[in-house]
Amino acid sequence: MISLPSFLAISFILFVSGLVVMIAKKNIIAILLGVELILNSAALNFAAYTRFVNQNLDGHIMSLFIIIIAAAEAAVGLAIVIRFFQIRESIHIDDATQLLQ
Amino acid sequence: MFDNFIFLSSAALAIGGALSVVVSTNLMHSCIYLLMSLIGVSGLYVTLSADFLAATQLVVYVGGVVILMLFAIMLTAGSDNKTVNRFGIVKIPPMGNLKTYIMSLLTAGVMGCSVLKMIMNINQTTKLGELPPYSTTVEQIGTLLVTDHVLAFEISSVLLLGALVGAAVIARPRLENEVTK
Repeated sequence: MISLPSFLAISFILFVSGLVVMIAKKNIIAILLGVELILNSAALNFAAYTRFVNQNLDGHIMSLFIIIIAAAEAAVGLAIVIRFFQIRESIHIDDATQLLQ
Repeated sequence: MFDNFIFLSSAALAIGGALSVVVSTNLMHSCIYLLMSLIGVSGLYVTLSADFLAATQLVVYVGGVVILMLFAIMLTAGSDNKTVNRFGIVKIPPMGNLKTYIMSLLTAGVMGCSVLKMIMNINQTTKLGELPPYSTTVEQIGTLLVTDHVLAFEISSVLLLGALVGAAVIARPRLENEVTK
């Protein structure tokens, strides 16, 4: 049961869910949630291939850097969301039409 | 048996959380479902014998990113956006319902089994020249980080500093005398 295809299937479901969230939702924070799901599926793929294909730990390092970059991305993205809300009083993606206020 | 239980419950948490993020219309609820999915992915890391990765996932994502997102939702929830409940969690009954009980049971199972799996082979003695079946990966990851991947390690530290300063500059409160065009 614990094999590479099952992990790939789980990762695929996570990726598709994140993609659907990014496409379908109109809320900026919800789109950031979808980005987190996609990054998680990529990190899970790296760890699964490390376990079942080659036994060195380079995939773990790669997953670790994915987690670091996801944390940085979440911080900057949420800061932009909060700033956008201060200016536009809204977090709807269709209101984000210009860079300069 | 034990591994299969961890795998099945973690997979159920991850997939159920991801699908619930898609389906849920309340932003606060979908953030909690994302938390559930991240805990499930952490359990999957445990079944892949990546214990350091599982701990990092719990600390960074569950302890950091999701909390940050919850704060951002609460800071921006006062808008007239229909998908955002004004106070976020008023629809949940105080003692929870069946869905929250299932979530908490699965989460407690995954966390308990993860900790058990990590500490299970502490007292095992193996023969000389034979590796235990699940050795910890922390030592090897630490060695790799400062030998083979030291450039990426330093670049990521600079990236984190830049993200910290950038987030603080972007989200600073507007001053009264600041001229807004």
